[in-house]
Amino acid sequence: MSHERDTMIEAVVGAYRYQGADGRIRPAPAWRDLTPEDRVEAARQAEVQRRIEAELDPGRLSTTAHAVLARIRR
Amino acid sequence: MTEGGHGRDPSASSAEDAERLAAMAAGDAQAFASWLADMEPALRASLQPFAAVADVEAVVQETFLRVWHGRGAIEPHPKGRTLERLAFTIGRRLAIDEARRAGRERDVAAWAEAELPALERDTSPDPHLRAWIEHCRSRLPKKPFAALQARIDAAGARRDRELAAELGMQENTFLQNLSRARKLLTACLEKVGIVLSEVMP
Repeated sequence: MSHERDTMIEAVVGAYRYQGADGRIRPAPAWRDLTPEDRVEAARQAEVQRRIEAELDPGRLSTTAHAVLARIRR
Repeated sequence: MTEGGHGRDPSASSAEDAERLAAMAAGDAQAFASWLADMEPALRASLQPFAAVADVEAVVQETFLRVWHGRGAIEPHPKGRTLERLAFTIGRRLAIDEARRAGRERDVAAWAEAELPALERDTSPDPHLRAWIEHCRSRLPKKPFAALQARIDAAGARRDRELAAELGMQENTFLQNLSRARKLLTACLEKVGIVLSEVMP
């Protein structure tokens, strides 16, 4: 896998997503630039990454879960 | 960060189901956090078939937010597992909407008719896995470690650009360090016989 492809995929693996004024969660901007194969790879890597995060968290919460909880508490 | 699940299978009994629904309807964020911890891997896995046409991360977050915002109007399902059924249904519907927008109408019917995922699974924490992840993370080089930790600490609330700037890195370098961190972590775990993609709940 090339460095460029790695970094494009990595930009999608993180849990940060913009929430629009209508309240909807938007796809990562970088996601639209990925090929269908790389989107699948990004989702697979995110699955692994969330598992790692949950295992390391005292409450077994991934960064996705923390992001959701932060939004409902605003 | 001490809230969250305790390894309870999301396919709770009807009594537990009703109890959780009532707690959430009353605004109990702790009950929701516990359910999130148990449910997220299953929801994410159920959306993998849509990964080429929908940003799974965005769909997962949107699904959970919709469950929370609709919590006051959720009727218990007669067979239990109400929240799980609801999350799978919302997630799939959102992903199918994305598929339609992507012009994948031909695939939509099959996806819409596919069975909901099985809910019988073990979601108990694995203390050995956790210990090995800690071990392998501690062996990461400084910059990949810092990048990985920055994303964990940000808890999905901050852009990579900001995290990179705080670490004195260009965004691209930050992303390269993250990618390297995960590869090294995965390789370290594989050396002790742990393949993360094979131990997903």
